[in-house]
Amino acid sequence: MKRCKLLIGALALGATGIVAGGAMAQDPIRIGVITDKVGPARPYAEPITEGVVYGAEELNRRGGVLGRKIELLIEDDQGRPDISAAMARKLVDAGAAFILSLSLTQATQQQQTVTMETRTPQLTPSNSGDTLTTQIANPFFWQTGPLGSTQIATLLSYARAKNLKRVALISDNSDLGQLLAKFFRAGLEKSGIQVAIEEVVPRGATTAEPQLQKIRAANPDAMFMAGVLTPENVLILKAYRQFGLKFPIHSSYNLSVPQYSTVAKGLLDGITFVDAYDPAKPEVKAFVEAYEKAKGKTPYNLHGYGYDGIRLVADAIGRAGSTDKEAVRAAMQATNFAGVMGAQGMKYRFPDGKRTGFDPEGMVVRVYEGDRQGRVVHVGTR
Amino acid sequence: MRDLLELAVSASATGCVYALLALAYLVMIRPTGIINFAVGEWAMVGAFGAFLAVTKVELPYPVGVAAVLACMFVVGWATERIAVRPLVRAGAPLLAPILALLGMLVVFRESVALAFGPDPYPVPYPLGFGRLELGPLAGSYQSFFIIGTTLATFALAWLFFERTLAGKCFAAVAIDRRAAALVGIDRTRVAALSFAAGAVIAALAGLLVGPNVSAHYLMGVPLAIQGFTALVIGGVGRVEGALLGGLLLAFAEQLTARYAPLPPGYAQGVPLALLMLFLLVRPTGLLAERGARA
Amino acid sequence: MKPLARWLAAALVLSALAFALSSYHNDVYRKLLLWVTLALGYNFLFGVAGQVAFSHFAFYGIGAYSIVILTFQAGLPLPLAIVAGVALCVAVALAVAIPSTRLEGFYLALATLALAQLFIVVLNEGGAVTGGAGGLADYRLPAILGVRVTGPWYTVVIVLLMLGTMALLARLDRSWFGRACRAVRDSPEAAAAMGVNVARTKVIAFTLTSALAAVAGMAYAFVDNTVNPPIFGLENAFLLLFMVIIGGAGRQAGAIAGAVALYLLPFVLSPLIGHHHALVFGVLMVAAILLQPRGLIGLYDALRRRAA
Repeated sequence: MKRCKLLIGALALGATGIVAGGAMAQDPIRIGVITDKVGPARPYAEPITEGVVYGAEELNRRGGVLGRKIELLIEDDQGRPDISAAMARKLVDAGAAFILSLSLTQATQQQQTVTMETRTPQLTPSNSGDTLTTQIANPFFWQTGPLGSTQIATLLSYARAKNLKRVALISDNSDLGQLLAKFFRAGLEKSGIQVAIEEVVPRGATTAEPQLQKIRAANPDAMFMAGVLTPENVLILKAYRQFGLKFPIHSSYNLSVPQYSTVAKGLLDGITFVDAYDPAKPEVKAFVEAYEKAKGKTPYNLHGYGYDGIRLVADAIGRAGSTDKEAVRAAMQATNFAGVMGAQGMKYRFPDGKRTGFDPEGMVVRVYEGDRQGRVVHVGTR
Repeated sequence: MRDLLELAVSASATGCVYALLALAYLVMIRPTGIINFAVGEWAMVGAFGAFLAVTKVELPYPVGVAAVLACMFVVGWATERIAVRPLVRAGAPLLAPILALLGMLVVFRESVALAFGPDPYPVPYPLGFGRLELGPLAGSYQSFFIIGTTLATFALAWLFFERTLAGKCFAAVAIDRRAAALVGIDRTRVAALSFAAGAVIAALAGLLVGPNVSAHYLMGVPLAIQGFTALVIGGVGRVEGALLGGLLLAFAEQLTARYAPLPPGYAQGVPLALLMLFLLVRPTGLLAERGARA
Repeated sequence: MKPLARWLAAALVLSALAFALSSYHNDVYRKLLLWVTLALGYNFLFGVAGQVAFSHFAFYGIGAYSIVILTFQAGLPLPLAIVAGVALCVAVALAVAIPSTRLEGFYLALATLALAQLFIVVLNEGGAVTGGAGGLADYRLPAILGVRVTGPWYTVVIVLLMLGTMALLARLDRSWFGRACRAVRDSPEAAAAMGVNVARTKVIAFTLTSALAAVAGMAYAFVDNTVNPPIFGLENAFLLLFMVIIGGAGRQAGAIAGAVALYLLPFVLSPLIGHHHALVFGVLMVAAILLQPRGLIGLYDALRRRAA
């Protein structure tokens, strides 16, 4: 009997909630977010999502968009692309005006089936696989993560003075690591550099010594790291230091996350890596300061991707003047927006009908000074 | 030649880690028949334990390790009480506790994921990071430390099983559970102790491999699979089998990665293919059980 | 009601559901039906024939990839591609099953685990044929006789596939072959003494259920019109095993209950407790095995007995 009363009470409460919701003057603008809370994308999806949440709070503090508040609908796809597509449908059914995709590259790919069919605008602010905009011609999808091809082009233009002829390429067997390695190899071969040796450190390995021995035997001018799994990258660095190798290391943007300064302490000095984040940029300084004040912890580049993502969406909806999907699509395509990511003065744009918006000249190369991520030493691909 | 000897040190160290995991499986399988895939997660908990005890709380390394291993003894014992004993008592088929322990695997992993998040943590080195050259043999300090500790552990395990009365009780339970009960060996206590010992050995493996791979919540399953593969290669009959199986697997992996003329993606498949072949040719493992000598 | 009428009624009700649901629920429904189909096949392989194999989900993947590759790269017409895809899976299944029947229990598990891992390696390394890590996309179900099946109508196709698999396996379970499988599971020696060819029974059960998984995979390929490696990851093989165990191994109703419960659990829990749902999943798993070893269907039986 008691349980029955409780149930009735709960129902009544729920009903008043619904009434109260309906009585509000202006409905919020709903933005869908698909993230990974338990699966393989979690290590990067989590900070990016935090960046999105903070960005939405900041926008709402400043009055929202079109006079309406932003409401985030956050869904967990468990790192599984098929569930990701189902979640995209859920968000469309719930009236999301835009979908932000923060999970695996393949999950973003599979969501596109839904966004193309329902003509719902979709943006991934962080995925870097070049294939996302080439596999399907979906006019409602954009990507502002720095592409794998941009990463290698930036690293190569920095290393051009070093006159590389034969290099080694090493990665891990994660999906993203394999994808990046493919673009790295293509970029290297395009600029006439021979990939003398390509190695893979599988997920769960306990040492990278056999791979580094093989690379040592090939005696390359430099080693390019395309892997994205932190523990496996640390194995590579340990074997490199233990063997006392001297050829320079140029790494993908994975070495730009702050975790390395604790797990790879003492191994990092002199390594160059490509990054989409310049801590000396005024926008970044303002973002870091405001975020620290609001959340009590220091954000890093991954938070920046999410923060830029939600602001790009808000910017497009603001310029569209409504949440009409076609109007938002046209506005998004006409984006011209400076965020926290990218080199000084970089703007997100989608010129000539392109749907990849990270300026190919907008990445920077940084060097580790001791265990600290040092200043920017090179910008762009020229 | 220099490379080969250097690789021998690295492969031996990896093989020793696999061997310890295989030994953890073995001490539980022999008296109970139960394959416990949660050993990989125990290794992970051990690695996180070392991070907490030595890096965070700043205990001296031997004290910290002893504290972690003592805790793992309790964890193993509790796991047996929670997920195994009720099923054995109810007379459930052998698959039931194996599956319950797979569930425990998820519980261990997700608890750590909740407590520490997805980021990796550094596990302390006992001897620091550096390179030791013993004549033509060269490798990291940690490699030599792993090899030494593992050999000592195996020597102790061998002495226990072959030379002590308690060890013979384990063996007796392994050979015939009912007969062991008839001669007054407490089967439930032997089972609980075997899980406690398995947890300690698995955690030791995690402590040893942790400085290389860092502590993170996904490190358990690959270790569990490698350890089980080593066990299958060596056979469950004898303690030495686990060591031999671990070393063989690690040498196969690392020699393939170093010398096989294969595209790197496919090189990972070679140990798997070897294992399948091995299973077909010699399904009982390399070392057969000794006769009714015990 | 006559059996045939009962099947027809089930088909009608389950199909009608597809037209009543929103597009989100329809999508979850479709994917759930495919999991149910897989669980039914795996129930026969594991629950009835007693083989602990982890390759079932890999065959689902082989089916999905082969239909896409055969139809859109080799240019075969759809019906021919289906036949060729099934033939391919039968060939792979035989190649695995014939040597593996020499192996018992966990050795078979290990061999099939290796197969499942190799499959992922091949997908990632397959270049243009498999699309590598990004997989294959930008295709759609070809029209058959001028009709293109879409939306809820495609859900109807999956409903029929699920019921067809269920009917076939139910029929098989009650036949001489089903009894032979159970005999081999309970005691291979006794089965052999009764004149059952143990090796052949095992091979047929493995190959047949693997082919059924492949057909389900073919249906999956057109659900989102994209296939990629993470869909067919190893963890799914374990999830499938848990579905059958939690539901109650050896009975179709159990497999269905387990698949429905475990597939929908994260959808229900995630909004309530966020990422704790994986931990809850583990705790439930342990609790279910400890408290109700015969699964959900055992629980149902116990409740019904008490009610009677």
